[in-house]
Amino acid sequence: MGLDRRAFLGLVAGGAVGTMFTPIPWKFIDDASIWTQNWSWIPRVPKGQIDYVGTSSKLCPACEGLKIMRVAGNPVSAGGNPDHPLSRGGVSALARSEVYMLYSPARIKSPMKRSGKTFAPITWEQALIEMAEKLGAAKGSVAAISGDGTGTVNEVLSALVGKLGSAGCFMMPTEATSAAKGIKLMGGQGQAGYDFENADAVLVLGADLFETWGTSTRNRKAFGATRPAGAKPASTYIYVGPTRNNTASVCDQWIPAGAADFGIVALGIAWHLLKAGATSNAPGFDTFKAVVNGGFGPEDVKRATGIAPDVLAGIAKTLASAKAPLVVTGSPFGQGLGAAPFIAGMSLNMLLGRINKPGGVYMLPELAAVVPGAMSRAALLDGDLPAFLKGVEAGKTPAPKALLVYDANPAYGLPESATMAKALEKIPFKVSFSSFMDETAALCDLVLPNSLPLERYDDVATPYGSGFCIYSLVRPIQKPIHDTKTTGDVLLALARKLSIELKFDNFQQVLKEKVAGLAKASGGFVAKDVMPWQVAAGKPAPALVGGDLWKALETGFAWTMVGQVAQTGMGFASEVVAKAVKAGKAPAVAATLAPYSQLRTGTPATGIPCQDLTTVPDTELVGDTTFVRLNSETAKALGLKKGQTVKLSAAGVDCQAKVHIFESVMTGMVSAPLGFGHTAFDYFSQGKGANYLSLMTVAEEPGSGMSMWIASEVKIA
Amino acid sequence: MSGQKMEFPITWGMVIDIDKCTGCGACMASCQTENNVEPQREASNKLRSTSWMTVYELTNGKSFPDHDIAYLPRPCQQCGNPPCVSVCPVIATEKNENGGIVSQVYPRCIGCRYCVAACPYHVRYFGWFDPVWPEGMQKTLSPLTSVRPRGVVEKCTFCHHRWTLAKDAARANGKDPDNLDDGAYVTTCVQNCPSGALAFGDLKNPKHKVHELIKSPYAYRLLERLGTDTQVYYISRREWVRKLGDNYLKSE
Repeated sequence: MGLDRRAFLGLVAGGAVGTMFTPIPWKFIDDASIWTQNWSWIPRVPKGQIDYVGTSSKLCPACEGLKIMRVAGNPVSAGGNPDHPLSRGGVSALARSEVYMLYSPARIKSPMKRSGKTFAPITWEQALIEMAEKLGAAKGSVAAISGDGTGTVNEVLSALVGKLGSAGCFMMPTEATSAAKGIKLMGGQGQAGYDFENADAVLVLGADLFETWGTSTRNRKAFGATRPAGAKPASTYIYVGPTRNNTASVCDQWIPAGAADFGIVALGIAWHLLKAGATSNAPGFDTFKAVVNGGFGPEDVKRATGIAPDVLAGIAKTLASAKAPLVVTGSPFGQGLGAAPFIAGMSLNMLLGRINKPGGVYMLPELAAVVPGAMSRAALLDGDLPAFLKGVEAGKTPAPKALLVYDANPAYGLPESATMAKALEKIPFKVSFSSFMDETAALCDLVLPNSLPLERYDDVATPYGSGFCIYSLVRPIQKPIHDTKTTGDVLLALARKLSIELKFDNFQQVLKEKVAGLAKASGGFVAKDVMPWQVAAGKPAPALVGGDLWKALETGFAWTMVGQVAQTGMGFASEVVAKAVKAGKAPAVAATLAPYSQLRTGTPATGIPCQDLTTVPDTELVGDTTFVRLNSETAKALGLKKGQTVKLSAAGVDCQAKVHIFESVMTGMVSAPLGFGHTAFDYFSQGKGANYLSLMTVAEEPGSGMSMWIASEVKIA
Repeated sequence: MSGQKMEFPITWGMVIDIDKCTGCGACMASCQTENNVEPQREASNKLRSTSWMTVYELTNGKSFPDHDIAYLPRPCQQCGNPPCVSVCPVIATEKNENGGIVSQVYPRCIGCRYCVAACPYHVRYFGWFDPVWPEGMQKTLSPLTSVRPRGVVEKCTFCHHRWTLAKDAARANGKDPDNLDDGAYVTTCVQNCPSGALAFGDLKNPKHKVHELIKSPYAYRLLERLGTDTQVYYISRREWVRKLGDNYLKSE
């Protein structure tokens, strides 16, 4: 039986008709439409009782008090604490990240030991044994670097390193470093504290007051309080610096001046004040007067900085006629200033009679140390880390046999980063206590992750810039998410293993003793209804109400004290100023790098917080390229065009950038954002842009011998 | 425009003092986490990233040294005559509740993006992809705002959930939930701004600070000539800043 044509056609037609009646193709089409449109899982929000608990920010250098919102006991967001003097309800983009950074992909999840080019997890016990063995062998040559400018953990670290035989205990350089050196050279005592709340005219020499300088959230709150919306401001703020940065954008006046010229500007203003009759009993006044009159007249300053004589006279007049003028000197990017510009700025405060006065500069006492053998903060700040590492790299300083790195990222966050990384490589045994896999941790032999602030006990003692003594507690809101420990506890356990007596068994005991000491200090009170600046202005300080100070601090309140160290020999340090501040040079014609730093790109120790990446404008970062800013005149002189890709070269390093024409940059300056160009951390930080800090060249400041890197020449091609 | 303007006894509004804003981005960061906007790896692509609150940089267009800058934080302007509402084919966005906050109902939204095109302030964002948080970070999601899937439009809600909480708190304390104290309900950007540049309250309530602030001779709104009658006011003592608020002819 054959298949004829008729039968074949019948079969095909029958099959086709039959298919129309079977559900199979329709089912397939239906399934295909469902599965191609099937949306992937998206997270559901947590449910449970909402409450708020207090703590303080440690990730943010502004040290704001925080209110952490919890759901069913789990922290979900960080907001400002209205009762805390350093927050008053405000919070920076970085402090806001305290909660979600708990789950940052860059977090180190357990102790790790280097194994070739990678790391292998080890237990804490193994880590302690290894560390005790290596540090025992390195006795007499152990160094430490801390990036925590406010923590009592520095006492434990410095005492341990001291008893092991210190090769140097250093802080990462900040504004506090220049200020401490300046105060020391002036023969002063205490930490400079600035009473913005009671000041009515503030001259800002370079310091990015509202972004990265000191207690920046508190600074902004103080500024805002004297500037009622839509009404006449009750304060005057003048900014002197190379760019109209975030601070200058809200100041009443921006006076363009190179970062290397802040000392000249300060002495130029001093000339006017002296001419108007300003005088002082402080040591060295006569020499200071001679130095100022000898080379910082209006025409000298104009020649050196380009600032017109009448502008300078105007500033002097504003300061002299104000009830409570204040001068603040700092670096536009938070480091590298040197001591001389600070001294020059402080000299203005002395001429204006603003030391230890409301609305002026308070010389704040350091809170008493509790760990035997610990270094004071002033002693820690006296170390010169860039000089030490450069010496190690050049073979002029013997490399320590071991290095402990706490809350710091010197391989990324120092100038001439390439040199610093080479110096670190020369140190045979390095331990990082970083919470995140940063550039320095990646170089270390052991990585012992610190729990994040929301997982540990810690503290904040009088951050640089605060106008009053303040102490706040950082307390664990939740158990450590990963296998991490509080570094204070690890260091104390290590001391026990090495049979070193540090008096305490755990870090919480250290903090409890610190708080017990504060409870006995006279003049201290818990800031609730009365704030410290009100006390500075004359309001009686409330008594420290009997009861548990520890509990009050755990609730989120701050202990505070308006105190000052009486100055017996604070002088003008004219010999330093005379050597380091030189007028009369012509303005630079080549391109000078003027970096700026912002809290939204984190600190070298945190990397870029993932949620803050959205806040970075596309005039700063597009894709993986960062922009540098020049005004049109500079761009024309250098033959550059908007959007052009360029290479910046200095200190033997090249960095790529695109050109953004921005007219609020001085002619001859190239303004570059810091906080980018990470080679470590996670995909939110890694490979995004370039680290322009690596282009900054370290020089020795004449007069003080201190390392400085406030302005560096760069080649742009 | 939507045609018929509705009046509400309570009209929530924001007043932003541009002369105090330093452009730090704390308001943006606060908004992101309060409202469960995912962390965005390629956030530099501003056409594809989501930011309910965005800070714009304004300049006076002059050359150095006469150049001046200012920062303008831009939430949803909560228009009295919202152009987005009239174009929505499915009533996913409405202005019909006391308080005058323009709603965005995600389950109703069909993702047509007419509202995105209609909004003159660019406050509306379309979710091109499902949101993804790094492993474990979803535990930090706020319980007060839902997570949006891809395919819908989202925007600033003046942290509407905070109003609900404030009303609950008032009821619990025996107070009138329709007559909240000044400051009882504020958005997260206002609460966390370190400069105190943002103020929030009921524009019609004389006891609220914003009621007076909007009468300032320096107060203005964005694109007022469109007749959108927004509930966000800006204040600046600088004339060039105020002039950038609308499209003026050179002769004006």
